[in-house]
Amino acid sequence: MSEQGIGSRERSELQPARAQADWLRRLSSPGLRPFLVFAVVLAGLALVDAGGGRILTGVTVFSTLQSSSTFGLVALGLGLTMVIGEFDLSVSGVFGLGGCVAVLYGNDSAAFGIACALGVGVAFGVVQGLIVTRFAIGSVPVTLGGLLTANGLAYVLTTNRTLSFDNIDLALALNETIAGIFSIRSLVTIAFFAIAVFIYAATRIGRDLIATGSNRRAALVSGVGVGRIVVSSFAFSSTMSALGGALLSYSLASASPAGLADVLVPAITAAILGGVSLAGGVGNPLGLAAGVITLSLLRSGFNALGVPPYVNDVASGLILFAVAIADAPYLLRRLMAATAWLRRA
Amino acid sequence: MTVGETPSAGRGITRLRLRPPSRLFLVRIVVMFVLAGIALATPSFLSAPSLTTLLTTISFVGCLAAAMTFITISGNIMSFALGAAAAVSAMVFVVVLNAAGYATAVIAALAAGAAVTAAQGCLVGFLRTNPIIVSIAANVLIYGVAQRVTNNETVQIGDAFLHSLLKGKVFEAPVEFIVFLAVIALGQAVLSLTVFGRNLFYVGSGLRAAETIGLPTVRTTIGAYLWAGLFAAVTGILLASRFHQANMEFALRYDYDAIAAVLVGGTAIQGGNGSMLRTLVGVAAVSTIQVVLLLYGFREEWRLFITGLIVVAVVILYSSRQRQ
Repeated sequence: MSEQGIGSRERSELQPARAQADWLRRLSSPGLRPFLVFAVVLAGLALVDAGGGRILTGVTVFSTLQSSSTFGLVALGLGLTMVIGEFDLSVSGVFGLGGCVAVLYGNDSAAFGIACALGVGVAFGVVQGLIVTRFAIGSVPVTLGGLLTANGLAYVLTTNRTLSFDNIDLALALNETIAGIFSIRSLVTIAFFAIAVFIYAATRIGRDLIATGSNRRAALVSGVGVGRIVVSSFAFSSTMSALGGALLSYSLASASPAGLADVLVPAITAAILGGVSLAGGVGNPLGLAAGVITLSLLRSGFNALGVPPYVNDVASGLILFAVAIADAPYLLRRLMAATAWLRRA
Repeated sequence: MTVGETPSAGRGITRLRLRPPSRLFLVRIVVMFVLAGIALATPSFLSAPSLTTLLTTISFVGCLAAAMTFITISGNIMSFALGAAAAVSAMVFVVVLNAAGYATAVIAALAAGAAVTAAQGCLVGFLRTNPIIVSIAANVLIYGVAQRVTNNETVQIGDAFLHSLLKGKVFEAPVEFIVFLAVIALGQAVLSLTVFGRNLFYVGSGLRAAETIGLPTVRTTIGAYLWAGLFAAVTGILLASRFHQANMEFALRYDYDAIAAVLVGGTAIQGGNGSMLRTLVGVAAVSTIQVVLLLYGFREEWRLFITGLIVVAVVILYSSRQRQ
């Protein structure tokens, strides 16, 4: 035990610091974090609203769910790759590519367009996953190449133009309100999250993902099909991104190779808010859902307040900084060192 | 025989060591020759406009790639915010030039680029936040703040100050190219001849090990980002000088070309090895490929796609080096 070598003075100095760190650690524990943050954001918005009825309305709920549908699936896929200790940087590229493919080939049959987008997503994911496992390369350089390739492919297929989608009826239908706060797009997103939550809870997959992310070698030794898990995670992530992109393009009746929405930043932010750690081995779809809703609520709240567009960007950047710092490996030890130093001073 | 650049412990000077050639090295030599052959065989490649374009592109992307090299060698993979730093520096350069003259403008631009990037370095060095995410966040934040400050306007260099810009050619090469070569030389000197450079390689090879043996890892990481910011600022200054104006759209996609150049040159993405000379080769190769494609009639949209395929191919190819 390490305490035996420490003198009594150092031990008593460490105790309060460690107790404080415990309290901090328990409060920011990944399981609890997403729901805590959601509560804080909700409370904050209610405070700002101060009973004026501008923010906490049905319209806000609707726009929150709509905003969630844009990047929610991407966050789900990206989050699960983070759980296994990898990182899929290509999601925004595949998102844009999915949208372009869906519009390019979906003018006659929307279902065919969606199928093409899904196919592209699966292909990208499987190829990236295979490269990562077969050549034992880190996921960041591979998915960086995937990002450029997917983005580039979108430019090539659309010959650098913005495409328009003929099926305007479908576009309107996708965004029509159902029961005042839902739409087909948000219901699809919710459905996929629900399926993910169920599979995670009811099958071995959730445990295998966590095991792969915590300690890959131990997982391998204990019989987890690590290779299959990695490839499937990348395939799932790319498929979700492509689907999200296709749905967004259909609902906006257009597709652009530059992408219709920046999804990488909100997806990463939502994932970390949702309790996933970059170190891997932690996270679940329910937390991810909470993270997505929280971020969307924040954005919708800002919109309801009528802030100028740059505020959204600045806020996104600051929030991402905050979650990155919260997830930083050395944060706790620096805080403890700082408090110990302050106490000694 | 290959020449390897590796730090030699306890000497503070990089020794050039000779190793027997690896299969990877031979592949690279062959590819370079094939590429050179194709380039020279392409009609109008050797024409003045094509070469000038090539050298100018190499200069702009190359300075940013040199910046990226510092970050990659330090083990922090890459930064998505160097293009943004270059754009900020370009705008600061133009604004200060119009107000206070050339020397002040250069200093201000360098300071702006360095500050913006070193701030990220502080987070990464001190707290070890994920460098990719920090750079993405910084990118978004910079463009958001810039939106507010600049209202998406372009700033022009006033006529009174156009004369003070370095223009034209030196020995038939554009001025930017000479500046780029100077940047490469300076960067290589820092990497090979300074204690900081040697520490950088150690920190990049293994952070925990470097901490254990007592190296100043925090300072080294911040220093890497500081140098990256300085070189990104040089990119911004060059762009502003070339186009006589600046706006936040400058250097928008340069980060991708820069990391591709660094990887093609042979610097490992995990860090711990690499050099400016390799980046120079990488930039030349990637830019040559892009110009050749353009001359063969591939339109602009193929550029990104081909760059992506090159990155994937290079990453796979170099992965075998780790397992040797």
